[in-house]
Order: sequence, then C-alpha cells, then structure tokens
Amino acid sequence: MDFDLPTEHQMIQEEVRRFCDEEIEPIAQDIEDEHRFPQEIFDQLADLDVMGVPIDEEYGGLGGDTLMYAVVAEELGRVSGSVALSYVAHTSLGTKPLDLFGTPKQKEEWLEPLASGEGMGAWALTEPGSGSDASDMDTMAVKDGDEYVLNGTKQFITNANVANSVLVKAVTDPGAGYDGISTFIVDPENDDGFEVSTVWDKMGLNASPTCEIQLDDVRVPEDRLLGEEGEGWKQTMKTLDGGRISIAAISTGLAQGAYEAAKTYSKEREQFGKPISKFDAIRDKIVHMERQVERARLLTHKSAWQYDQGESVTKSSSLAKLDASEAARKVAEEAVQVLGGYGYTEDFSPQRFMRDAKLMEIGEGTSEIQHLVIGRELGL
Amino acid sequence: MKVLVTVKEVAAVEDEFEIDGTAIDEAYLEYDLNEWDDYAIEEGVQISESEDDVEVVSVTIGPERSEETIRMALAKGADRAVRVWDDSLEDAEMLDVEAKTNLLAAVVEEEEPDLVLSGVQADDDGFGATGVSLADEVGFEWAAVVNDLELDVEGGVASVRRELEGGVEELTDVDLPAVLTIQTGINEPRYASLRGIRQAQRKEIKPMTLDDLGLSADVAESDLEIVDMYEPETESDATLFEGSPDETAGQLAEVLRDGGVGQ
Repeated sequence: MDFDLPTEHQMIQEEVRRFCDEEIEPIAQDIEDEHRFPQEIFDQLADLDVMGVPIDEEYGGLGGDTLMYAVVAEELGRVSGSVALSYVAHTSLGTKPLDLFGTPKQKEEWLEPLASGEGMGAWALTEPGSGSDASDMDTMAVKDGDEYVLNGTKQFITNANVANSVLVKAVTDPGAGYDGISTFIVDPENDDGFEVSTVWDKMGLNASPTCEIQLDDVRVPEDRLLGEEGEGWKQTMKTLDGGRISIAAISTGLAQGAYEAAKTYSKEREQFGKPISKFDAIRDKIVHMERQVERARLLTHKSAWQYDQGESVTKSSSLAKLDASEAARKVAEEAVQVLGGYGYTEDFSPQRFMRDAKLMEIGEGTSEIQHLVIGRELGL
Repeated sequence: MKVLVTVKEVAAVEDEFEIDGTAIDEAYLEYDLNEWDDYAIEEGVQISESEDDVEVVSVTIGPERSEETIRMALAKGADRAVRVWDDSLEDAEMLDVEAKTNLLAAVVEEEEPDLVLSGVQADDDGFGATGVSLADEVGFEWAAVVNDLELDVEGGVASVRRELEGGVEELTDVDLPAVLTIQTGINEPRYASLRGIRQAQRKEIKPMTLDDLGLSADVAESDLEIVDMYEPETESDATLFEGSPDETAGQLAEVLRDGGVGQ
C-alpha cells in the first residue's frame, strides 16, 4: 500500500492550490454576495487544462485519472464551494458521459469544447416531481421522422444558464421503466424551445447557478441521442458513481478550508491571556476537525483509486460521499463556533463553508439515498 | 540559441522554529523554488516562445529532493534540466559563492549557452552574488538586477533596464554571451498548466557529479565559516497615534518635523 500521492499529482495539487489561494480565494465571498458566476475564473482554469482533467486527450482533455480529478476538486472546494460545484457538474455530469458514451462525431462536436474549457457542461436529470426517485420522470422525447421532440421541466440544473450543452434525460419508451430512459444532447443557445425559467437564490453556493429549465417542443436531430435509446438509466448510474466521488472531494475541500480557518484563528486569538488553541475546549474541536477531514479524504481517495483500477465503486463512492458531506457540515459548523462572533460574520469564511456544505448532503443523492445504496450493497 | 536558467531550491522557515547549532533545525524548514528564479524561468520561456529555435535548459545545484523544484521549471516550459550533486557536496557545511560559481561555470562550459539568466539573489542565504561572479569566471558580459529585457538575437545584443540605488534606472546594451540577474517584476510568472506538469514528468533531468564536470572535491572548500546562528533582538519603534484624523495628523506632522523630514 502506498498512501502518498504520485509526484505528478502532488505537483498538480501544489500549483492548483497556489492558483486557488491567489486568484479565487480573494473573490470567493464577493461572488457569493453578487450571485455572480465567475466566468473569468473558468477561463483561467481552461488555460491551465483544469476543465478536462479525467477526459481523453484525443478530445482535448488532460487524460488524467480520477484520483487527479479528486485532488483538483478538493483544492477548488477548499476556497470556493461554488467554483468547485460548477466545476464538477461540468466535468462529471456534463462532460464525462460524452467521453464514455459518445460517438467519435459527437465527441468532436460536443466533447471537445467542454474538455478544453471553451464551454461549460451540464446535465438535466431531476424534475419538479422527481428527485430521489429519479427514474420516475415526466420529460418525454418522441421520435418524429429523423428528429426527437422533447417536452418537460427539469429542476435544480447546475450551470444550465451558462452551458454549451445540456445532457437531458427523457423517457422514450413509457412502458419500459428503467429501460425506457434516454439521454439527449441539447444546445441551450441554438435549440428552439429551451428556456431557463428560474435561477434559484439559495442558502449558499450562489456563484454556481442552479436553474429550472423548460423544454417546449425542443426538436433535436437523431444524432443528438447519446448512446442507444433506452440506455439513459444505465448511463446515469455509471455517471453518478463518478459524480459521488467528485462531491466527496469537494466536501473534503470544504472541510479542509473550514478547518484551516479555525486552526489559524485559534492560534492567533487570545483570551484569558493565551491563544484559545491552548484551551482544551478549542483544541479538542480542532483535533476532531482534523480527524474528520482526514477520514473523508482517505475514503475519497480510496474510491477514486478503485475507479481508476476499473473496480466497482458503487459502495465506496457512496460511503465517501456520505461521510465527507457530513464531515464538511460538522467541521464548518464547529469552525463558525471557534471563531465565535466573527464566525457569524461574512468577513470570515466559516459561515460560507457551512452554507455550502449543507448542499453536499442533498445533491447527487441525499444522505438518505446513500444509506439505501450502501445497505443494498451490504445485502440488507 | 540556448538559454541557461539557474534555479535554486530555497528553505523557508516556519513562524516558530528552533536553531540547532549553526543551522535552523531541519524539522522547521520547507523547500520551494526561489522567488527570483521563478521570474528568470518565465523570462527564458518567454524568449523561447517569441524567438525561433531557442532551447531553455535549467540547472540547479542540489540533492535529489531538489528535483521537485527544478521539475516545476520544466512544467513551466524549460526543455530539459541539469542537476549537479555529489557526495562531497552533501558533506559541505555550506556552498559559498565561489563554490557555486565554479560548479555553474563547469556547466556553462559544458552547455555553451548564449544567455544565462539567474535570480538576483536567493531567498535563504541571500549572497546575491553568484550570477555576476559566474559571468566573471566564464568571461561573459553581465548585467545585474535586470527588470526589463529586449533581445536582439541576430545582433547578439541584450538591451536591458537595470535598477540602481535610489530609484534610478539604467538602460544598457550587453553583448552576448551574457549573464543577466533577473529582478522580480520583470514579468508575471505563469502558473504551470496541468499538461505542462504532466509533460515535465517525462522531461530529462540529467544528474551530474563533480567527476562529470571535471572538478575535484575541493571545489566545496570555503574560506567562509558559519560561526553562529541566532535570532536578532527585535526592536519595535512603532508609534501608535490615537484620536481623530485632525489630532493624529498633527501628531504625525510633529514626529516628521522632529525627525528632520520636511522643514
């Protein structure tokens, strides 16, 4: 066993961290206050080849592994949950399925701009009436000549209003259950009938757009079908395996960021004549944070490593996502407590981590659904 | 043309540390690329991007650990690297300017560069002399503390702007081959791209021993001896003014007048 990251991964971690500290952290609170998607940050990330880390080099990606991707996602999460969330939604949900399931022609047209970072990726699974029970969807795609006609409403779609393409899940065979779902590549700009109806104001992560979209007789040519008809659900399960690792990685980053803020503050803040880190009450909190962060990271890296070995990660990615998202919320809340009154102000980062962390227990499978998945894997 | 960029891995000290004899305890040190050298690398890479047929070679003197540092130069665009080290250098208490000059001079003889770029100084031992000393040793022209560089490759001339004392700047033309010591601010060092970092893993870092360079172990001998290492007493001369802007401005004026500033 070797718990050290490979040299290449270490260098990437170091350089991405430097970029995050110098370019993202200084504006991390401002973009939340302004509810602004920071396009300029994503342009720079594109220049540094960050936008296509686990994507085939042939199509403009970096050709890195899942562990490398997890390392990058954690670093982004350490400074900005919003940037990290838009980044992993772009990569895991909007880009990776094109890499895995696209034809060479689809990859050229749709994958390349995403892998190189020219455009943002998104996918649309959830609906107003379909969340945890994701396959019970109402969005329909009806074949009409050599086109499909899409109708429906999709909910909580990250990046939809800034996306180059959206991978839309729709029912093509209403009687076939899981096997009746298919995936379509939709172009928000050029496909008539696509409309972003709401950009949600949220408890946190407000620099990462979360949208409701309407599909009103959106006609797409048949070569926009990703994979075969009826493969949409299998693709979804495979995509979410990787997606959970990326949410676990962001969560580890949020926890790490909150932990660092609390640790630094506790060594500087003096009460009763000494740094508050010297009091058991605070020291124990910081130690407990370290324990939770380290555990979250180990579970995340293990699952990423398994993914790279080609092993099934259904259980390990669920465990990582469940544990890391909980760790992020708890560590962030304790960080607010360590900073006391200052922790409750927006001049300090722990409140931002606390707001952002809560979503990690909800998005890409709630904690309750993770328990269900893990229970099933345990044969319960 | 060939550009040789000298880089150094420098030690950074944590806020709290302990001194062990005449050195800072290794446990409190972290190693990183010398800040000035980062600007020298960027300058070299920019030359290779704007001119045809430029090879950028990076050289460092240091143990195997320093490969991490020099690999960052490769990630940012240097073509290949040379790392000089030897057991007899390992045993030396410190490598002074003379030792580094002789080691780098041997590399310059081997590589025959047209231009050598080095940082103005190292962030840790701060001699600030190696670049110019190297130029003298190998018989190159030189310019120190360069904060702007225009290169005429065909004419073999580097037009440089140098920072002098007291905010004065000097424009000088230097004939190649030359050594330029690079000041921070001459450019904006890039972040290494992820593709650059991945490619750097496959670029050559050639190890060279004293034997390879035709040098003997006495190159590390030094006339300098570190006799003590201590933290200087810190004196605080800060005066805090309290009160309204009117009051504090008056107090500041008084201090300036007493200090002889602005009669």
